[in-house]
Formats: sequence, structure tokens, C-alpha cells
Amino acid sequence: MAFLIRTIDFTAAGREIVRDRVLDQASLAIGRAAENDIHLPDLAVEQHHARIDVQGDGTLKVTSLGTLGFALDGRAVADGTIDPRTGGEIALGAARLAVARESDGTIAITIRQVAPEEGKGDALRGFQLASVLPSKRAMSWVFAAAILVMLLMVPVTSHLLRTPAKPDPTGKTEGAVLLDSAWSAGELSLKHHSLEDNCESCHVAAFESVKDETCLSCHKGIGEHADRPRLATGMPALSAGDAIQWKIAEGLGKEGPLGCVSCHSEHEGPVRQKAGGEAFCSDCHKDLPARLKDTQLTGAHDFGKAHPQFRPAYYASFGAAKPVRAAAGAKPVERSGLKFPHDVHMNARGGAARMAVSLKQYGKPLECKDCHSPSPDKAGFKPVQMEQACESCHSLAAGGIGKLRHGSLKHLAEDLARISTGPRSFDSGRERPGRLGSASPYRADFGRPVRAYIGISNALSAGGVCTECHLPTTGPTGQADLMPVNLPDRFLTSGYFNHEAHKKEECTDCHAADTSKAASDLLIPDLKSCRDCHLGATAVKTKKIVPSDCAMCHAYHVPAGQWSPKGPEPHYVPKPLAPPKYKPEATKTVVAAIRGSASK
Amino acid sequence: MAGKAQAGGAKSRFKQDEKRRDSDHVSFLKHRGFRWLWIALGLSLATIAGYLLIDQQPRPNGGTWYGYTLGTIGFGLIIWLSLLGVRKRRITTGAWSLKAWTSAHVYLGLSLVVIGTLHTGFQIGWNVHTLAYVLMLLVIATGIYGVIVYATLPQSLSANRKAMTRAQMLDALTAIDRQLESAAQPLARAEADLVIAALGQDVFGGGALARLTGSYPDCATARACTGISRGSEAETRVVALLEKRSEQLAQIRGALRIRAALEVWLFVHIPLTIALIAALTAHVISVFYYW
Repeated sequence: MAFLIRTIDFTAAGREIVRDRVLDQASLAIGRAAENDIHLPDLAVEQHHARIDVQGDGTLKVTSLGTLGFALDGRAVADGTIDPRTGGEIALGAARLAVARESDGTIAITIRQVAPEEGKGDALRGFQLASVLPSKRAMSWVFAAAILVMLLMVPVTSHLLRTPAKPDPTGKTEGAVLLDSAWSAGELSLKHHSLEDNCESCHVAAFESVKDETCLSCHKGIGEHADRPRLATGMPALSAGDAIQWKIAEGLGKEGPLGCVSCHSEHEGPVRQKAGGEAFCSDCHKDLPARLKDTQLTGAHDFGKAHPQFRPAYYASFGAAKPVRAAAGAKPVERSGLKFPHDVHMNARGGAARMAVSLKQYGKPLECKDCHSPSPDKAGFKPVQMEQACESCHSLAAGGIGKLRHGSLKHLAEDLARISTGPRSFDSGRERPGRLGSASPYRADFGRPVRAYIGISNALSAGGVCTECHLPTTGPTGQADLMPVNLPDRFLTSGYFNHEAHKKEECTDCHAADTSKAASDLLIPDLKSCRDCHLGATAVKTKKIVPSDCAMCHAYHVPAGQWSPKGPEPHYVPKPLAPPKYKPEATKTVVAAIRGSASK
Repeated sequence: MAGKAQAGGAKSRFKQDEKRRDSDHVSFLKHRGFRWLWIALGLSLATIAGYLLIDQQPRPNGGTWYGYTLGTIGFGLIIWLSLLGVRKRRITTGAWSLKAWTSAHVYLGLSLVVIGTLHTGFQIGWNVHTLAYVLMLLVIATGIYGVIVYATLPQSLSANRKAMTRAQMLDALTAIDRQLESAAQPLARAEADLVIAALGQDVFGGGALARLTGSYPDCATARACTGISRGSEAETRVVALLEKRSEQLAQIRGALRIRAALEVWLFVHIPLTIALIAALTAHVISVFYYW
């Protein structure tokens, strides 16, 4: 077997010197010693370093002779095999021995010296992922800068430089601050949704919590649950955590726990403000009298267990200016100024029933709805109107010349005076002269209205037509008069009752009208009758029992209003209604009047 | 007396050695019998219990006193956790060893999932507040990935090496390349070009995605392998060398893939941590700016 040993060296000028020699033997010795077949003058190589033997199958076996190995194809080994057809490379010190088979069958060993690699450390750096990715530091700067600029500097700068936008409930005015929508912690409630793009309508100044005055700039006339100092006294002590939070928050200018935003927290999604639960009310009301010493309210926390008796508003004396509230548990005597026995009208076999049967308008005995018609919201009832409810039986028709008007003594006087002077039928269009006798209408037409005076006196005195329902009295100058009719337009002034929701019940289930003999009976049901079905919020719901929290009958801002998931909120102090005809001095509703006197 | 001193010396020496052994051979996860795991678990359970037991009005979120407390704890933790990068660059000894610090970093970082989530009150939206929360979750998720790969991948990295250093892998490739260069001399133009392309391609090329997946569809060596027919003896030899080169490349690429898997999470973890601190700053300032 022949080896072609080819040594390639470089001159100082870089010229390549190639020396070939052929060794015809089966094994080669490699080392630093001069007697080796391949002599490598390199201190890193041992004197007798390795040997190459040709094996039977034509492959070459490379064996290291000392303790130091060599690198075969870059891998550090102590011995190895090279197939000359594929070739291989042996590294010994700085020498690289490339083994390959020539076409004529000789095995060429090409020896080159390699310069020590200086850039190797740099090459290893390529193994790090950092070599193909942007630096962490650069990415950090970019991300942090983008976030700080877009989400902090732009909104803050534009807030400082802006012309403030006005609050606009129509939603047409957009806020002047850029990108502050990214600060919104959540969508606004349904009622405030139009303000979504105008953060400044509520967040007026930087680092200042939303103020009550900002809320009230739109929500004018909202009812206060009670005066602020009384609310503060009535509140139970805050928990330690809440107390610390409020102390810090109030130190930083936030309005206290009685401020609007402490209950009306916004950015909770497109929902409506929920009614306060039973606990919300009972926190204060459970033992309110213990803190608010002068309150007339008793403790309340669960409708089924602890709720004060109802105290309906009523007129306690004839012609009183204001209604009063009944004492709890008392049996009030109502002085409405009317005579009205409910039992007579409701008795299905009595005279009233017979009369009703005979009238086309009714055709059957009277029912409650014949007189009491529901209000438009179906929650309550319209005031009973004499003309609609009573007149078909209690007629004011006057002898074929029309009827007397109801409601005012002045009208009565005019109508009675007209009985004699009113239009009547004539045989011809001409009046014959000379007929001045008592049979003619002359005296009635041109004489003193004696008959009218007598008529009024008759009507107003006991047994007269008016006194069928009204109480006779005398006016300031001693003239005959009637007791004014006083009926509150709402009996339960601090709660809310919806008749529509109870339409499956009979009226008499709650109102003892069928046994009431006089108008002085106040037919407002008591607590017990409600509790037949309504128990507290924690009661178990059954076919009959309705678990009822406070909000079913009370609202916070105006306790007489009812919170409902739809429709207008009962937050606002009710507007004064148009004054009723029979009570010209009344400018407020009863609820408003009572609330007014309570707050004084 | 001398014996006593010696015994005392031996004893303290033993203690010292024990301490060293402990610090040398116990994983940061098991540090001091999972001390920080228990602390983090306790913290998480305490905050959950507080969330369930404390009546937060009007509803639980970052604005109640408990929400502010959780937010403050979370903010403090995030800042402290991010200081690991500073701490690990300072070589110190003592109670606050880097291992203790890392152990606390991992377990307290995990407890932030609980603290941060409770702080949100489960209110999520498209805003700077949720941005900070999501960034925090991403940082924690990449951290979990990091702990897992640190625990599992070094073994496969060492298995892939087959007793070769990275430098040797590159040397082996260079050796094959030199042989290829001379073996390819008899080849025709087209085939020579294929070899040139294979030799000229950067072993570290291909980008991050190729590294992570270990898939190199543009590998010139593979293309040359299939592109050169085994007609002549020279061609056969070149192909054999190219196959050898492919094998060597596969080993290097295996190392690259494992290495990339080991390191990639830091390229998300670190920049997102800094982004998180920025988002937290914007979150805190904006909340009180529009109080």
C-alpha cells in the first residue's frame, strides 16, 4: 500500500510550497521525533504520537501511542478508523492531516498548518439565542417607552393643555383629553353611557375625586334620604379597614362615605344601579334609634321579623290644613268631611245594589272598581270624582232644566238661581204682555231670587241634597256651608305599594270595606295582612311566601318611591301636582307636605 | 485544651462544609425545605380568605380598602421581583444568598397570580389596568416556562453533546468542510456550486424560528446531498462527506434548539417585566389622576 505524503507550507510572502513524497508501506508513524514517517515539528505533538495502519478491508486505523489523543474529524479521540474513500481529517497540534484516496488507489495525506483561531470565542457566541434576536434591553426600552407615552404622557399632556369640555348628557360632546379612554376601568352604567367619550364630565380636575357638586349639576332636585348630619349620626361605625381608607381618602380631598360616589360606583359595566339589598338598609336601620336618639323610626331589618307598624297619613280633624300620620298600632278616626258607609254600597242585597242593577250603566251590584279607577301607572287610584262615581245614583238633576254642578258653592248658587231663569219652551216666539201673575215666569225672571236662596238653604241644611254625602257647617260669616273634603292623595307616605302587582287579590282581602259602616274608618291594611305573603329577604320562597327585601316597597333617595329595573327612577322629589279644585290652598302633594314638615 | 479547640474547629468546619454542601447541591426550588413555597402558599391562602371574608362595598375590586391593600402588596412584590436582575449581578454571601433570592423570586412570583387577580376583582377590560394585569400574567407564565426548562432541558443538552464541546462541534464541521473543499475539486460546475452553497451557508443562520423548531427548509447542505448524483467516485465521496456534514449540522442545530428553548423565555420575561413596570406606573397614576 502506498501513501502519498503531501506537505503544504507557506513562505513568508504567502507563496504555497507543495512537497510530495511516496511511502510504500502498510503503516505510518507520526510524531515530533525526526525518525517518524510524518515528522511534525510542534511542541504540542509527542515524540511518538500516533500510528496509521492499513487494515485488511482497506480502511485506516489511527492509534495514539501516548496518553495524548488527537482529533479525528474535529472529535477528540484516542484511536479511530478512517475510510479512505470518504476521507477524514486528523488534527495534531497545529497540523491538519487530510486523508483521502487518490484515483490510482494511493492514499494521499495532505499536511497543512493552520493558524490558531482567534475568533473562536466569537464563533461560540453564535450558539446563544441572543445572536438572532433583538437585545432584551432594546425591547424593554421600546415596550416601556410605548406604554408610557401612549397611556400616560399623551393623556396627561393633553389634559393639561386642553380647553375643558362641558358635561353633555346627550353624548354629542366628546372629551378633549386624548387616549384617556384607555384609563376607563370599565363601561359606564346604562344611564351614564352617553358620557362614555367624555371623561371630563365627571373627572373634572386632575387627582381630584369625583365631587357631589359635579353629579348635582345634572341631577338637580334629587331627594336626600335624610339630612347629611342625621345620616352621619345614624350610620354604624365603619370597619377598621374602611375607617383607615376614608381617613386617607378624605385627607386627600375625597368626599366622605355619604358622597354620591361611595354608593354609586361607576365603571362597573353597562348595568343599572342595583337596589340596595336588605343589608344595605339594615346596616343603619336595624338599630337606628340607638344612634339617632330623636328619630321617630323604630328599628327595622327584616320585613317578616322586624318592621314597624304602618303609620298611614290621614286627616285627624275636619278641615285640617295638613294630614298627620297615625300612631303605630292606633285605630285612627279619619275626618275626611264625607259621609260614606262602604258596607251599604257593597252589600250585594241592599238598596244600593238594587239601584245599580236597575241602571244600565252598572246592571249588577256595585263593585269597588265602579268608583275607584286605577291611576295611569296602575299602581294607585285616581281620586274619586263625584260626577263619575256617585252621580248616576246621587243625582243632581234639577227638574228638567239641567243639573247642578258639583264641587263649588258658588256654582250651586248660580245653578239654583238659573232654575227659574233658565231657557224653557214657548208656544210661540212672542211674549204676550200683561201676564205678570204668579203663574208666569216674570217674577222669577225679573224679581228677587228668593227661591234660589231658599233652594241653597234647603240643599245645605240637614236633609238637603248636599248633606246626603257632605257634612253641613257654617262659614266665617255665619252662612250655611259644607265641610271641605280632605283626603290625602297617598296614605302610606314612606313606602310604595303597587296595586297592579296585587291584582289577583280581592280588594276586600286587604281593605275591610265590606264591613265598614262609616267614612271615618281608615281602610288601610296593617302590617299583619302584608305578612300573610311577604316576609323578609331571607325567607324561603314558596307558592304563597314572597321573600321581600326593603327595596320592594322603599327607595333610598325618596323612601316613598319604588326602585324598579325599568322606567324612571324614584330619586326625585315629586313635582307639585296641579291643585285640586276643592282644595285651592294645597300646592304640594301630601307626600311632599309631610316630608317638608319632617325635615324641618 | 488544644484538643478542644481542635474539636471546636472541626465542628465549625463541619458546619461550614454542610452549609457549602447545602448551597452547592440543593436546587433553588427545594431551598431550605421549600421555605418560600410555604410562605407564598400562606400569602395566597391568606389573601383568598381575606377576599372571601371581608365585606367589600360596593363590590370587590381595586378601589376598596382591601383592594388597595392587595394592590400595594402586588406592586411592592413586582418591584422587588424585578430586582433579581440587579441582585444576581452582585456576588455576595450570607443569608440572602442568590439561591434564597431566586427561590423567593419563583414562589412569590407565582403567588402574584392570586394577589393580582383578587386585586382586579375579576373585572377585565380593554384598558391600561388590564394591560398591566395581562403583562403580569405573561411574565409569570414565561417564568413558569423558564423554571420548567431549567429543570428539564440541561439533561437533553448534555445528551446532545455526545462528549463534544461546542468548539469541537464547530471544529468538526470545519474539518469536514476542508475535506469537502478538496474532495469537490473534480466536480462539474453545477455540482461545485451546490457544494459552495453548502460551505458558504452560516451554520448559525436561519433565524430564531428555525432555531426553536429545529426546522431548516433552506439548508444548502441537505440540498447539495440530494442534488449531487453518486455517479463518479468523486461524487460519491462528496455526497458521503455532505452526509457527514449534515449529521454534524444536526448535532449543532440540536444544541441550538435546546439552547434556544432554554433562553427564549428570557426574551419575553425581561422586556415584558420592564413593560409591566411602565404599565403599572401608568395604572397607578391614571387611577388617581381620574380619581
